[in-house]
Amino acid sequence: MRAYTATDEEALRILSLLHDWVNQGFLSEAQRQTMEQDTPCELRRTNGFLRLVLFVFTLISAAAATGLFFVIASPVRDGLIVATLLLIFAAICYAGTEFAVSGFHLYRYGIEEGLAILSITLLCVGAQATLLANDSSTQDIAEFLVPAAGAIASYLLYRRFGFQYLFLAAMIFAAAIPQYWTASHTGQHLFVAGFYTAGLLIVTRIRRSHRLDYLDGEYSVVETLLWLGLYLSLNLQLSSVSLLAQWNPNLANPTEFSKLFYWITFVLIWLLPAIVFWRALTIKDRNIIGLGLVVAILTLATNKPYLGWPHHPWDPILLGLLLTGVAAAIRRWLANGPNGIRLGFTAERLSAHDKQWMGAISTALPIALPNPATLAPAAGPEHEFGGGSPDGGGASSTF
Amino acid sequence: MTLFSQLDRWKEQGTITPEQHVLLSALSRDEPCSVFLPLNILLYAGVLAFVGGLGWTVQAYAAQLGDVIVLAALSAILAASLWYCFSRASSWSTAETPSPNLVLDYVLYLGCLTWTLELAYLESQFHLLSGQWDIYLLATTCFFFALAYRFDNRFVLSLALSSLAGWFGITISRWPGTQEAAYRQYAILYGLVVAVAGIALRRLSIKPHFFGTFLNVAANVLLAAVLSGVFGREGYLLWFLLLLAGCGASLAYGLARKQFAFVAYAAVYGYIGLSSVLLRDMNDGTTILTYFVVTGIAMLVTLILIARRFRREA
Repeated sequence: MRAYTATDEEALRILSLLHDWVNQGFLSEAQRQTMEQDTPCELRRTNGFLRLVLFVFTLISAAAATGLFFVIASPVRDGLIVATLLLIFAAICYAGTEFAVSGFHLYRYGIEEGLAILSITLLCVGAQATLLANDSSTQDIAEFLVPAAGAIASYLLYRRFGFQYLFLAAMIFAAAIPQYWTASHTGQHLFVAGFYTAGLLIVTRIRRSHRLDYLDGEYSVVETLLWLGLYLSLNLQLSSVSLLAQWNPNLANPTEFSKLFYWITFVLIWLLPAIVFWRALTIKDRNIIGLGLVVAILTLATNKPYLGWPHHPWDPILLGLLLTGVAAAIRRWLANGPNGIRLGFTAERLSAHDKQWMGAISTALPIALPNPATLAPAAGPEHEFGGGSPDGGGASSTF
Repeated sequence: MTLFSQLDRWKEQGTITPEQHVLLSALSRDEPCSVFLPLNILLYAGVLAFVGGLGWTVQAYAAQLGDVIVLAALSAILAASLWYCFSRASSWSTAETPSPNLVLDYVLYLGCLTWTLELAYLESQFHLLSGQWDIYLLATTCFFFALAYRFDNRFVLSLALSSLAGWFGITISRWPGTQEAAYRQYAILYGLVVAVAGIALRRLSIKPHFFGTFLNVAANVLLAAVLSGVFGREGYLLWFLLLLAGCGASLAYGLARKQFAFVAYAAVYGYIGLSSVLLRDMNDGTTILTYFVVTGIAMLVTLILIARRFRREA
């Protein structure tokens, strides 16, 4: 099923760890070179920036080639032929992905990823066109078949090549399927939550046997995505907010749900962060720990809307004090343990990747977020001071 | 062969010491598990939420609270933040200095954001400099640069660079919403100043690890500013030549220093500029699509060759 051998993927994991350990000072460069020679790997990788650029240019050229075919063959107006051609192009893109991987041993190289994503896109568009070409009354079936085809294709390509974002795509497609099964928003939320819960049960079971190999990292991401999906499907204030409704008018207003379901989800969004933290701390998974923080913050932020209480301007101050207080207390508690370790956790940095992440965050975010100093005040009467919004990155101001 | 069997083998071969074997085996099992990154993100989110709430509260209650209370509260936060940082920080060094604890970086960032809120409040309420906001921006920029270099803090360095951009007449977070020629000139000047400052500070060996931040900001601002000139209706060929020169320099630097980001900048900005010039008055769908197919493949081949060269040299 998998396009890459376990030996190669384990070798990649070892090579990545060796690089990290040298950067952290746990190994010398000479040791790494010796150890790398003992870790042969056939796969070709590239830097993250080049991967991104290769991905973009693959999409541009392959999508343009598809478009060019239809422009040249413009006399073809028959909907069924167009749909069939789209499906053929989807198959060609998939074949291109297989060829890039098997022929050139590309691994997260951008090219094979661009082709894989284009194949799923063309498959969905082709499926939709096929159904509509036959009979316009098949619109309802298209609402089911297109996301179902997208979910299955995304999942199969994730299994085949290990692109974790395709698992996310499969989850998103799957979330659209229940709209065909039931018009009830409560039912739709229950179906989606059911999908993700089933996925969690399967992943947690499979993951046990891969705790010490290369697949653990991949399953960690998948499990994190499933927990996030489950939380989002249950938090009715988030999954029904007006922002999302702009994109999908089918989303329900929170008041449309039955009271019982509404209050059950309220209890669940408070329980889920605790469950996620418990799971994360039990298996020492940093991705899930990070997700636990995110869902805990989301629960705090949506608590008042859930209860129908108004937000106050000082709410973000309290949230900020809580977050920094918790972080400082945990750091202090861990640092005071023997060798800075308690219960198998430490606040110390043990990976050079963490330093790279912090470098990227600390450089990009202060530039990307609004800087109050760069927003000029307008001359006018007193008390025109305008401060940031609660979600404005803490820094937006108008004067 | 799994990681653990390899580690056992390397220990038996004498490639790694028994102590290293114990350490690396434990690290591979996440023993101990580091929560460094989640704690940092929690602190950063906390500071942003706090300052956001502070701004909102001041906005909503400035009239009721009065200037004295608002300014006293903001000044107290600023003073407490700076006192904490100066009392806890290690002595200054031109080299990279790790923060003595996880919290200090964020306390400093909180102080800087509070400073900007306080300045904005002062000017909006009292018009001390008669609306000459640029003077505030320049003072803020100098203050932030001083703090960034004193405490070796990238958050504050980025704030300083963004404040400097504001002083030059642009706000990076909003740019390139405006394509006015005047803004372009300011942007180019800003990019050059940032690049020269970065190079000078690195040559003086003052926090040379900040050089990457300077250069990335300068490269993106310069290339984006020149690219905006290529989109113009008049004199675009001159801008296009400048863009080619800029992309060439970025590519050469990226190849020489193995800085892949600069190779990517050259490819993306250069391709957009070239496409803008060649497709300027083109309306034929077949030609346009043929162009994207041919140039897309050409870019792919070029980038693959570059990637292979890096792989060989690595």
